[in-house]
Amino acid sequence: MPKKVVVIGGGIAGIQASLDLADMGFEVHLVERTPSIGGRMAQLDKTFPTNDCSMCILSPKMIMCAGHENVKLHTYSEVEEVRGQFPNLKVRIREKARYVNIAKCTGCGDCIAKCPVKVPDEFEQKLSNRKAIYLPFPQAVPRKVTIDGEVCRMIKTGKCGVCKKVCQAGAIEYDQKDEVVEIDASAIVVATGFDIMDASLLPQYGFGSCKDVVVSLQFERLLSASGPTGGHLTRPSDGRTPKKLAFVQCVGSRDERMHKYCSSVCCMYATKESILAREHVADIDTTIFYMDMRAVGKGFQEFVQRAEKLYGVRYVRSRPASVQPGKDGKGVLVTYETKGLAGEQVTEQFDLLVLCPALLPSRGSKALADRLGLKLDEDGFLVAKDIRHPVDSTRKGVLVCGFACAPMDIPDSVAQASGVAARVAEILQGGG
Amino acid sequence: MARVGVFVCHCGLNIASTVDIEKVVAYARGLPDVVVAEHNLYSCSEEGLSSIRKSIEKNKLDRVVVAACTPRTHEPLFRKTCELAGVNKYLFEFVNIREHCAWIHIKEPLSATDKAEKLIAMGVAKARLLEPQKETESSVIPTAVVIGGGLTGLTAAASLAAQGIDTHLIEREEKLGGVLGDVEVISPEFSKSGDLIGQLVKELKGSRHAKVHLGAKVVAVSGFIGNFEVTVEGKGKQEKIPAGAIILATGAQEFMPKGEYGFKEMPEVVTQLELERRLASGNVPRRAVFIQCVGSRQPGREYCSRICCNASLKNALRIVRTRPDSRVSIIHRDIMSYGTASERLYREASDRGVVFLRYGLERIPKVVRKKDGVVVEVYDETIDEMVDLDTDLVVLATPMVSREDARDLGKLLKVPLDKYGFFLEAHVKLRPVEFATDGVFIAGSARWPSSVTECMGQGLAAAAKASIPIRRGKVVVEAITASADPDRCAACGNCVIACPYEAIEIVEEHGKRYAKVNETKCKGCGTCVAACPNDAMQQRGFTSQQLSSMIDALIKSTEEET
Amino acid sequence: MAEFSPTILAFCCNWCSYAGADLAGVSRLQMPPNIHIIRVMCSASVKPEYVLKAISGGVDGVLVLGCHIGDCHYMTGNHRTAKRMPLVQKVLKEVGIDEKRLRLDWVSASEGEKFQKVVTDFVDEVKQLGPNPMRGVKW
Repeated sequence: MPKKVVVIGGGIAGIQASLDLADMGFEVHLVERTPSIGGRMAQLDKTFPTNDCSMCILSPKMIMCAGHENVKLHTYSEVEEVRGQFPNLKVRIREKARYVNIAKCTGCGDCIAKCPVKVPDEFEQKLSNRKAIYLPFPQAVPRKVTIDGEVCRMIKTGKCGVCKKVCQAGAIEYDQKDEVVEIDASAIVVATGFDIMDASLLPQYGFGSCKDVVVSLQFERLLSASGPTGGHLTRPSDGRTPKKLAFVQCVGSRDERMHKYCSSVCCMYATKESILAREHVADIDTTIFYMDMRAVGKGFQEFVQRAEKLYGVRYVRSRPASVQPGKDGKGVLVTYETKGLAGEQVTEQFDLLVLCPALLPSRGSKALADRLGLKLDEDGFLVAKDIRHPVDSTRKGVLVCGFACAPMDIPDSVAQASGVAARVAEILQGGG
Repeated sequence: MARVGVFVCHCGLNIASTVDIEKVVAYARGLPDVVVAEHNLYSCSEEGLSSIRKSIEKNKLDRVVVAACTPRTHEPLFRKTCELAGVNKYLFEFVNIREHCAWIHIKEPLSATDKAEKLIAMGVAKARLLEPQKETESSVIPTAVVIGGGLTGLTAAASLAAQGIDTHLIEREEKLGGVLGDVEVISPEFSKSGDLIGQLVKELKGSRHAKVHLGAKVVAVSGFIGNFEVTVEGKGKQEKIPAGAIILATGAQEFMPKGEYGFKEMPEVVTQLELERRLASGNVPRRAVFIQCVGSRQPGREYCSRICCNASLKNALRIVRTRPDSRVSIIHRDIMSYGTASERLYREASDRGVVFLRYGLERIPKVVRKKDGVVVEVYDETIDEMVDLDTDLVVLATPMVSREDARDLGKLLKVPLDKYGFFLEAHVKLRPVEFATDGVFIAGSARWPSSVTECMGQGLAAAAKASIPIRRGKVVVEAITASADPDRCAACGNCVIACPYEAIEIVEEHGKRYAKVNETKCKGCGTCVAACPNDAMQQRGFTSQQLSSMIDALIKSTEEET
Repeated sequence: MAEFSPTILAFCCNWCSYAGADLAGVSRLQMPPNIHIIRVMCSASVKPEYVLKAISGGVDGVLVLGCHIGDCHYMTGNHRTAKRMPLVQKVLKEVGIDEKRLRLDWVSASEGEKFQKVVTDFVDEVKQLGPNPMRGVKW
């Protein structure tokens, strides 16, 4: 009987850890809170510094993971409790009711077309709506619909039932209940990734008060061919193509009042998004307001140089003091100090402003850490056991990787995830 | 008669915004033996794959052509889909209309569409002639070789040994530890690097699965995944180590300044590692100026070496923590304290009075000897003023550069390097510790300058990857090997000489002399095919008939056009 | 009359030049659409017959791209290519075809820009040479 490993978090780190563990011969149970694996990387349009299409490189991995003979997916599920001691851990997983029989659903989408309830779409960063019955994104794995019980009329009031009528596969089950499964696991991997800070917590940057202020992940969706605008870069206020674009780095990060740490990836993704914006709109002018340009990875400096020289991106070392709505609520007015102490305050108009907010340990990671008995650092990230064991948590048999440990980019997360697989193999071999 | 299906991918708008998909699909329908031509928004999505699968089954296809992106990333996926639909995976042909067409002809949609049609015509022509193949399996030697005994190599080797895999660690120096051996404490915790290295060495020496070769150099590598032979030379003797997988962890080295900032002329000007040695021996300067990016982020060596800012922050803190009377400045272009722990160091350094000044390439600082010592003259961009810093020591933070023997090692292992001499992984995003060559892995600063935690993480990652074929005990060899038709072969021996793997010999069977290929040794390069004067030697999946048909298809589709 | 737009065939080895072409694509490096790639595992597997077949059939130019000398995935394969292709050029010249219609070059997996340059240069050169005299010749 192969030993079982529970991987918590179905983003790229969790997927990679699962794939490696499965290839090693372990029986992997991958637990993902949302209806599909893929995580943050699924929302990205391209990846820096090669501008590889994110979905193009991720999608094969998602499919490989789901199709692996040693991987069992628990999507729309959460780990509720872990009892016992290494290597006899009892992991209780709550598989939330989807109100859809996964075995029967073909993912055809007929139900989605007919569902009368619209709610903001989390995957599209609320730039568009989804239905109460939905697929989180077209390449979702598994490609099965889910009914959002919080908003579904039938579930809430018993009055609707349209999806059940149109489903030819007979997959809709309004009386479905949560299911609880318990796995006897030898080890647990935590790869819970990150969330984005609510940028409206810093009102000076205008998010929420100015229509044409978006956060970076929203902008990523605006660039994406499969995003809410079909890949046409437009601004929210009037749907027009922006010609003057700006990014503000370190919104709520490297900030004593908010989050002190550096989110590690914003300099590079802002550079990437600037290049992509130029590819969408040939005559767009882009400015990036930054503190330090942290381009520390392979090909990153060259990427920034390319943005500056070939794509005309203007890098301005300054932290804007305020953002006001432009005339008639369209565009924004950004006030910032020019270089040097002798520099003066200037106010510049932009058509669209992109904020790069602090990236936080994912919501729920604190509660999960408490449930598992894992230590967090002052910034809320998982603490490693000691310097010799960089991917071990403070609890034996629980390994950690990816953004949940510290802000890091995709290759670093992927490497750590593979590293975790090695550690699982070590400790289950009998080593420490 | 073959029954060919053609599936054209929109790739969202990636292909469809340039190539007229409908037109291409209509064109494909008219090609010989094409039974069905369809298109998908994302062929690689679960939806796309299942629709391809259904179409194969419904239309009883026995050849499948997907026109989408590159086989280098997506071929396995579509091959698997073919298999699921009951079609041998070698009856699949990939046509690249994204990287090689839509993306490079963005402003010429008409020409790009024409070109996509021709490429598909070529792919269909080849597909018609494809034959089902069976793969050969080969065994895996249950031993791993780790090259490089620095932190990364030690971590990888210790992990493999702890996993119960016999591991040889090859180190060319007489001691283990690499560059970290020259560093006393590790940021951000300021723990002793000697303790970490000592612990790793202890684990290795205590393991019956690990063997350490000191003062040993890799001089030859032959074979392939599962069956490598690594020849190691040292202390006058040579040893051949059979291995199933190889990890490259040879690290990097500190760039020595070429006279910048008075280095070598003024004793007060030292490198970071020299400062490390001084601090380790208790020689703590009262006044120190760190100059960042010496020899990096400038024409000729554009990259940022990732770890130097953190090294300077750490050492600045060591100075100010031990000497309350100290005065330390860091002259930088950007402080690269990414993440949580490093940013904490940066804040602590600022709080403790370390002065940060920012310079640009237009006006680089100068180190000047004055009567009473050394002065660093720097134009600080933030305050827009010249600042003179009197100091006892100038520390040049130089980048990590590749080892001088990296290129030789790359040649031995047949793995690529980038223009700076760092090893080039299979994919910068999703395959950070793998090479394109199966069974050979890369980790640590030999790939890119990396921190202690990063080196260890990558070392573990490479150990995981290397362990997989060893655990499985077998590798499956792709069916692209060559073989000669005994009836056409004249046993001239040209192929025997041409083969880079000594995989071919002239044999006599049933009274006929002909060239016979050893399937496990053959790597499927096809060199022998071109060397054969009789068209007797053929490579599976790349036969001369198949390739000729592609050329014919190109000629034909061009003629049709004019 | 429309400008002459040559048809060009390229053989790219799987490991270096095909990957270089992929990189050019990923980097969105723009180049003329005349080139049609056949992927082979190694440039050393490109038979002279393929080149002759293409040229005699009216293809205006043939590009053979391999790994840089010393970087061949199969150790020494491209050394053979380096010797073989000049011979094929000689043959072309013998039969009255400008040998510049065949070009051999090296592009690595990290040289998207070089791929772009090689393709652009070669297309320009073949344009200078004009249509392949073998075009439309019926055998």
